[in-house]
Amino acid sequence: MAARGCGWLVILSGAALAGLLLTGPSESQVSVQDAPAEAPSAVSVTVYRDPYRASGSIELDRLNGFALITETRTVHLHAGDNRLRFDGVADGIEPESAIVAGLDDIILEKNRDAAVLSPSALAAAAVGKPLVLTRTNPKDGRVQRLPGTVLSDAQGGVVFKSEQGIEALRCSGLPETLSFEGTEGLRAHPTLSVWLRAHREASATVMLSYLARGFDWAADYTATLAPDGRSMDLGAWVTLANGNGTGFREAQTQVVAGRVNRESGEIEPLDIGGPIVANCWPRGSTSDIPMQLQLDMRSAGLGGQGLKKALAAPAAAAAFQLAGPAQQAQQEQLGDLKLYRIQEPTTVASLQSKQIRLMDRTAIPVSLVYGLELDPGEQLSAAGGATPASRSLRTLNTQANHLGIALPSGHVQVFAFSQGRRLLERESNLRDLARDEELEIDLGPSPDVQVEATRIGRSHRVEISNARASAIAFELKLRLPDGVGIVDAKPAAATRNGRPIFTLSIPAHSIAVVNYAETSVGRAAEVHRQARDPGARIPQLDVNLVREVRRDVAEIKAPDRIALVQ
Amino acid sequence: MLATAVQAADKSLSITIYTDDLALVQERRDIDVRGGRQRIEFEGVSAQIRPETVSLTAGDMSVVEQNFDFDLLTPAKLMEKAVGREVTIVRVNPATGAETREQAEVLAANGGVVLKIGQRIEVLRDDGLPVRVIFDKVPDNLRARPTLSVTIDSARAGTRTASLSYLTPGLGWKADYVALYDEAAGKLDVQGWITLTNSSGTPYENAQTLLVAGSPSQAGSPGQFGPPPNGWRQPLRRPALEQPGTETGNRERLGDFYLYPLPERTTIANLETKQVGFLDVHGVPAEHGYEFLNHWLASSDQPQSAKSTYRFSTSAHEGLGDQLPAGTLRFYLRDKRGEPQFIGESRIDHTPMGSTLSLVTGDAFDVKVKALVEKRTRVNERDWKTDMRYEFSNALPRPVTVALLQQGLWGDARISAQSEQSTRRSADTAEWAVNVPANGTTVLTASFETRF
Repeated sequence: MAARGCGWLVILSGAALAGLLLTGPSESQVSVQDAPAEAPSAVSVTVYRDPYRASGSIELDRLNGFALITETRTVHLHAGDNRLRFDGVADGIEPESAIVAGLDDIILEKNRDAAVLSPSALAAAAVGKPLVLTRTNPKDGRVQRLPGTVLSDAQGGVVFKSEQGIEALRCSGLPETLSFEGTEGLRAHPTLSVWLRAHREASATVMLSYLARGFDWAADYTATLAPDGRSMDLGAWVTLANGNGTGFREAQTQVVAGRVNRESGEIEPLDIGGPIVANCWPRGSTSDIPMQLQLDMRSAGLGGQGLKKALAAPAAAAAFQLAGPAQQAQQEQLGDLKLYRIQEPTTVASLQSKQIRLMDRTAIPVSLVYGLELDPGEQLSAAGGATPASRSLRTLNTQANHLGIALPSGHVQVFAFSQGRRLLERESNLRDLARDEELEIDLGPSPDVQVEATRIGRSHRVEISNARASAIAFELKLRLPDGVGIVDAKPAAATRNGRPIFTLSIPAHSIAVVNYAETSVGRAAEVHRQARDPGARIPQLDVNLVREVRRDVAEIKAPDRIALVQ
Repeated sequence: MLATAVQAADKSLSITIYTDDLALVQERRDIDVRGGRQRIEFEGVSAQIRPETVSLTAGDMSVVEQNFDFDLLTPAKLMEKAVGREVTIVRVNPATGAETREQAEVLAANGGVVLKIGQRIEVLRDDGLPVRVIFDKVPDNLRARPTLSVTIDSARAGTRTASLSYLTPGLGWKADYVALYDEAAGKLDVQGWITLTNSSGTPYENAQTLLVAGSPSQAGSPGQFGPPPNGWRQPLRRPALEQPGTETGNRERLGDFYLYPLPERTTIANLETKQVGFLDVHGVPAEHGYEFLNHWLASSDQPQSAKSTYRFSTSAHEGLGDQLPAGTLRFYLRDKRGEPQFIGESRIDHTPMGSTLSLVTGDAFDVKVKALVEKRTRVNERDWKTDMRYEFSNALPRPVTVALLQQGLWGDARISAQSEQSTRRSADTAEWAVNVPANGTTVLTASFETRF
């Protein structure tokens, strides 16, 4: 396919754009010939994530991502003006993004006609035009054809005129319908067309590119912890979904990782059409027996509802263990994004989600860390009791750890072995991770490790109990108000990410105690130095704070570094 | 008074579309009038016409009044207007199919139709049996579509050309740009398209179309009241325009607005999106960079992606060489197989020629920044000292430069210490150009003294 490699803008450089001829309107009336393009001979689909979905799996009833679709089509042009029509484009097309390349003729206009063929559109188009009303006698099946004219279709009611007089459609209780003369040029789907001026009759291969909504993709990871808990295997699928009514057969498929900027563009006008409602005059009655129900067809409209229901099929589970090596997507750099190319052409069918293998890595060393983030201003739990610590798996995304690749955001399922069986332990989300970043998978709260925090004035005491049969690594992070520091910390605290952190190793079946005092806003060290020195001259600014600290110190009994309770 | 319907066939139509959902429709139609007073109906005007803006001029006649009738012809209205009149009802015997005709007077149509047939009073179709109602005429001012009618006083009979003009919402346009970036050469190919949409409910056939890159203020329209839009009211958006230009293009102008005429007469169907090209430039130098904006006291445990930016000029020299109407610029980049792939889009405002634009396409996967508030100390009763630490990481196999912007430095805030020299972009923002080696990291620290 010659057009493929070089495609686009470059080709267009040969084509004169209409805009360059913006010299002033010509008065000539032109006749435009219809030139439908052939069905695509090759399709490329690049799926982008929903830029506003943080992480996790895709949701089939909310596919807010999009795709760039590039179709190669053969067209046959007449000499002169042609309306080159592209049928079968995705229904989620953003018409303003359409690009047509590969023509050396003058493109005058690109059009997208969103008025589609529907009963109500037919009635609207028939206003003022002759048509035939067909009335069937319910008894003998005799059909009466009455030529007439539609006078109005305003507000869903149809008024027509025949030689017998003026009547309203379907108000008589008789089976009545309208027979229209033609389809008024309306089509089943919004149509994309290009008005171009060809020098001569010719056939050409053109590339049509456009963005279409209603796609999404995410990575679905499976992490399997080794029985000793010191390493894991990490595999991933690309799960992509097409929520459009249009499918793409044998498409060259790519997905792009990374957040791309999207301007929340207004959606172009689209009339999805509707039935002929045939609203009548008031039909009050002297009886309270309900009249024969009139079929309310309005609810059967073509809204997004149908699509969502159709899509409610479950996503393929990502949890299968691979029987053999699968075809893996190949990663390449696309500017500041990551492009994953699926090696063989694949069919991205309408209303379908599909999975392609992204990666498989084994024996990645991991460490299991327990921890809790504490906001001293808040009670840990309403009752003041203990809170389970959270667990997470940690490793570095480096080559030494058998990783060192870009990990696109998604959803991760963690499996562990118990008595020789592989069981699901936790599901959590993963953000976009570049090479050499820290990979942390949340394993959820652990009932075995509980944290209890108590405070007296500005002094805090935190007890961490470990009911496990082995020593654990524990991290207590503090989230302090602006300008607040800590003093008198036992054991000593370190600082990570600008916040105090206590890193402990807690032996099996024991309780560790952490003590610290919170300083008041600002001037932490200064106030505490003054509080300890009975002879200090205390500036007015600090008087109240120093008094508070002295009272706190009197109240606390000096705690041990770590009290071990066997 | 008899009404003359003016057909749309012999008209010449010109439309001027502004960028904020407003269009000026001007048409010339040949009207055939009698002498004296009469009503003329204009069909095919916009369904969303602003009737107060209608103006009709023609020789030897004066306008008495203009009416915009929006009383639509529906079955219910037809019945309502038939109250007190005679209609024909046709009963159909469901067993035999035989028809019986009767004359009936409509007494009322309130929640149900009450008829007087001879001396009997009946409720229409109270028994649910089929009854056809046949009216003999349509009331005068009921129509299928809202219709403009003008009562004129003509000095003489005969055909003459009338010009009608009015404003209507429902027609609007914007620009769409396609930009293909060549990474190796650092060059940008840009195509500009005008995208116009018609949701006014009416097709405009064979219209001479002119687009105005600007919006005449619509006095009295909702949204113009209340306090002027101040900075805090508008969502905080990164400005795309870095340096406004000072060059003048050679396009037609209207006041300070640029004009874009469409080359051919065109039909703008209802619900149509139409695109016409207006710009095609190749090989414009563009600069790819990274930017990270940190809000005051923003601190995060996880690294955040820097933004990918592209910077280029709209100057006649080494630039696009044109003023750009407001719209969306979509960036594309070729993948390893040479096929263009979408890498993000950015909105621009009306941009004069000679400007420098810096547009964000999205987040950089491999270039990340972790901004940390390391320490906040109260220096004295009024002042605070904030120690910031910025950790940059680059997983790309080439060195990059990240523009770090620290916001929130109002008033007499000052930088008391910094590991690299900054430039003060504005009173509010300090900027560092931080070099991050290939597959490496860089740390920048800075201390700010502020009153908050």
